[in-house]
Amino acid sequence: MGCSGSVPARSSGQSGGLNNLENAGSSDAKNLRVKLVLLGDSGVGKSCIVLRFVRGQFDPTSKVTVGASFLSQTIALQDSTTVKFEIWDTAGQERYAALAPLYYRGAAVAVVVYDITSPDSFNKAQYWVKELQKHGSPDIVMALVGNKADLHEKREVPAQDGIEYAEKNGMFFIETSAKTADNINQLFEEIAKRLPRPSPSS
Amino acid sequence: MSRNRFNFLHNSELELRRDAYGFALRPQHIQGYREYAGIYKEEEEERTQKWKNFLENQELAQLRSTKEKYKETLQANSTEFEEETVRDKNSEGNKAEASELKRTTFSEKGSEGNEAEASELKDETVSVSGSQVDEAQDTRWKADLSERSGRSNVPEGTRETVPERGREGEKAEVTELKEETLSERGKKGDDSSRKSDSDGSKELSPQKEQLSEETKTEKVQPWAQIRPSLGTIEHMMNFRVKKRKVMKGEQITKSGDHLPSIDEARSSGGESDEDIKEKVCVTVTSYGSVNGLDDKGSQEDEVSPEPYFPWKEELESLVHGGVPKDLRGELWQAFVGVKARRTERYYQDLLAQEINADESKEHDNSFGVPRKWKKQIEKDIPRTFPAHPALNEDGRDSLRRLLLAYALHNPSVGYCQAMNFFAGLLLLLMPEENAFWTFVGIIDDYFDGYYTEEMIEAQVDQLVFEELIRERFPKLVHHLDYLGVQVTWISGPWFLSIFVNILPWESVLRVWDVLLYEGNRVMLFRTALALMELYGPALVTTKDAGDAITLLQSLAGSTFDSSQLVFTACMGYLTVTEARLQELREKHRPAVLLVVEERSKGGRVWKDPNGLATKLYSFKHDPELLIEENKGTEGSDDALADGDLSYKEPAANLDNMLSGLSVNSELEGRDLQEQVVWLKVELCSLLEEKRSAVLRAEELETALMEMVKQDNRRQLSARIEQLEQEVAELQQSLADKREQESAMIQVLMKVEQEQRITEDARRNAEQDARAQRYAVNVLEEKYEKAMASVAQMEKRAVMAESMLEATLQYESGQAKAVSSPRAVHNQSSVDSPKRRIGLFGLAWRDRNKGKPSNLEGSSDRKSTN
Repeated sequence: MGCSGSVPARSSGQSGGLNNLENAGSSDAKNLRVKLVLLGDSGVGKSCIVLRFVRGQFDPTSKVTVGASFLSQTIALQDSTTVKFEIWDTAGQERYAALAPLYYRGAAVAVVVYDITSPDSFNKAQYWVKELQKHGSPDIVMALVGNKADLHEKREVPAQDGIEYAEKNGMFFIETSAKTADNINQLFEEIAKRLPRPSPSS
Repeated sequence: MSRNRFNFLHNSELELRRDAYGFALRPQHIQGYREYAGIYKEEEEERTQKWKNFLENQELAQLRSTKEKYKETLQANSTEFEEETVRDKNSEGNKAEASELKRTTFSEKGSEGNEAEASELKDETVSVSGSQVDEAQDTRWKADLSERSGRSNVPEGTRETVPERGREGEKAEVTELKEETLSERGKKGDDSSRKSDSDGSKELSPQKEQLSEETKTEKVQPWAQIRPSLGTIEHMMNFRVKKRKVMKGEQITKSGDHLPSIDEARSSGGESDEDIKEKVCVTVTSYGSVNGLDDKGSQEDEVSPEPYFPWKEELESLVHGGVPKDLRGELWQAFVGVKARRTERYYQDLLAQEINADESKEHDNSFGVPRKWKKQIEKDIPRTFPAHPALNEDGRDSLRRLLLAYALHNPSVGYCQAMNFFAGLLLLLMPEENAFWTFVGIIDDYFDGYYTEEMIEAQVDQLVFEELIRERFPKLVHHLDYLGVQVTWISGPWFLSIFVNILPWESVLRVWDVLLYEGNRVMLFRTALALMELYGPALVTTKDAGDAITLLQSLAGSTFDSSQLVFTACMGYLTVTEARLQELREKHRPAVLLVVEERSKGGRVWKDPNGLATKLYSFKHDPELLIEENKGTEGSDDALADGDLSYKEPAANLDNMLSGLSVNSELEGRDLQEQVVWLKVELCSLLEEKRSAVLRAEELETALMEMVKQDNRRQLSARIEQLEQEVAELQQSLADKREQESAMIQVLMKVEQEQRITEDARRNAEQDARAQRYAVNVLEEKYEKAMASVAQMEKRAVMAESMLEATLQYESGQAKAVSSPRAVHNQSSVDSPKRRIGLFGLAWRDRNKGKPSNLEGSSDRKSTN
């Protein structure tokens, strides 16, 4: 769809076409930079996913996120390209949705997270998908993530529901566990693979 | 329990990974913290000393005034006389004046700025017992002077029993009064003051319920007064709270909110009805006194915004320097004006209501805290300062109660993430109910509109901050723009969390010190600007968005030099004032409202159901309060005699009083409860209509603005067109001129070229001439040569002639001898040509006589050749 790694940079600020430097950095087919935003109900483990991915840690009693927090992480793919994820982890409570556009505007990737033990959070995930379809970048890459997969005995959202919903909406689906680190790296690698690459000529 | 918690903060034997407040340190900050730990300690000692001196001076001054007062009381019991003396004393100035001001306005004898304040504003009965109160007061002062640290203020003497009694009363009330009928309310008013009564009601209550009560509310820490030495500060801040309330009331009146209707109802009731019940009369009179007080207050406002506190500047500089740990909890309460805000038993009522709602298992919105907030609170409690030693099970229970009570208190906010941290922080510093009222002050006043469902003010503030930062740090913003970073991505969380979890704790507390002292959000802006000032230079060196954000986050997180931060903020940004911010907020608010409006139109299903329901709910909740209010004043005589605290600060409950009045005056003899609810529903729908009308008006206004703008735009574009035309014309003429010029130049060039050509021609001609001259010379030379050769030839010819003549003569001599005719004939035929040559040669010789030498030379040469 002609999206390039530089999309977030270009459309995020009010700077218009000023980001030559950035484009120089990201239009490089070998080194992508990507703005990624995590959305989802409160307490589904957004911050934990990021912390696991970026620092390799898991804290069962992590802090409430107020507003949003930022972390970045670079991964190398097998084809020797690197992808630097600039991750905005947003607050989960409903009313913070008022501030969410600030963070998902211009994002190239949105990761919508729900908790497999909470149908409510699955509903909320669907709300976010709709919101993104309405107000996000038209060529945004979306991933639907069912977190807390380690709590399978308490599962209330069947994996099939997630798969079907993701398929219907052209999303990529995965179940993860930030606690056991299951599928966390896979999630981000898969996203990286799906990123539209800038053509080498550009 | 509070003492335990408090002590914990003082415990120096803390884990390595926790700071002096028991908060976990991030691993990358441990080093930084260690470096500053020593500095913090020194600073703490220094400021403890400074504050001690300051407060001691305050106390001495106050003690003096109290003693004088005591004497006066002994001298005369008449209020009028006392008022006169008080007025006399006003001229003395100093701290005493500040306290007396209040005395004058309240026209009562209780001493101010401490426990006795709660029993102020009473009538003659109190005056009689006043001396006793003062006496108790006096001893208390002394006690307090000797015992300065710790919570010494729920201590010895008659006061000891007061909170306890209050609690008993409250327990009784909870169990006994679910219906909240008037008569029962009346009893409650007495309960708080008469121990026997409260005992009685306690006995009435069923054991089972009481048990459940105890398990749930027993743990609630009693309300604790702040130490009297801070009374003057508290008094100053209380004044601010009252003033703000008055202002708010005025604003509401102006903006046409729901209060005016009540206001009208009140005035009509007060004026026309003569047969109002006694109860109503009481309300009216008490309202009158409140009104009178506020009138006085506002009159004073006109003269000078606040009464004169000579030590205010000193206090301000002390606050900028930081508040000592020991005093922080109480000073914060004083800053927020907790005493002026507090309503007796309000907190306990809210809790009881919540518990009842819980027990009745009716989780509908109309009773108890709405489920979604409850769920959210439950989720967030373990995630609030996780693993902080003080937030054990008890601590979490307190946190839960506080947040639930607040959600009931203000349903327009309910619960918002971030509030959990504030409540947690306050609970670390003060008893639960005190924390509740401080919390109420912060969220309802300081951050009004911030944490509501739409978070409008939070969004407005971000726009304001962005404008400020663009104005202050154009280079930095330009760089961030260039990187594609929006400042508000980072500053948004700063503001919403009031820097909790953003800055190191020492810095957070220092910022809060100033923020709470100032009573508005100015410090929020100043601190954020100071951070940008401190870290802007580093940010400018970053090369991509991710690096810039990461750097700023980590730098902010390591701002251990809290003094530098606070001073940069307070001194560097003096022009960032509340007035300026308000102006900017007004400017940016319409844009935010527009977006919010559009979003809600866009079908946010889960937002709408709250509107009316919560409002209705809150109104249902209100009547209890205001009825209690009325009763409280009615039963005040006894309460006062006992020095109890059942009396509520008048201004604090102005609103409630207003509504109470309207209810009473309009609905005499009817079922009050029902009517109140009905009225409120009516009001509610009116409010809703009004709000939508207001919204519509705003919409129209924006549309109008848009139109005006477009209109302007049209004019502007016309003007631009005109200008453009002119410019084009000018350009045209300029071009013409240029053309002319170039033509001229061309002409000139042609002329020049011609000139050059002619010159060339001349030069050629000259050359030609020279060549010709040369040719002439050559020719002349040739000619001369030729002439020379001619002369030679002539000579030869002459020679030949002479030779011929000689030959001829010789031949003729021979011929004469031979004399043959033929011979003669031959001679004549040869002779004729020779003669001709001879003639010709002679002629040439004559002409060249001028150059004989030449001729001679050349002939010589010829001859030699």
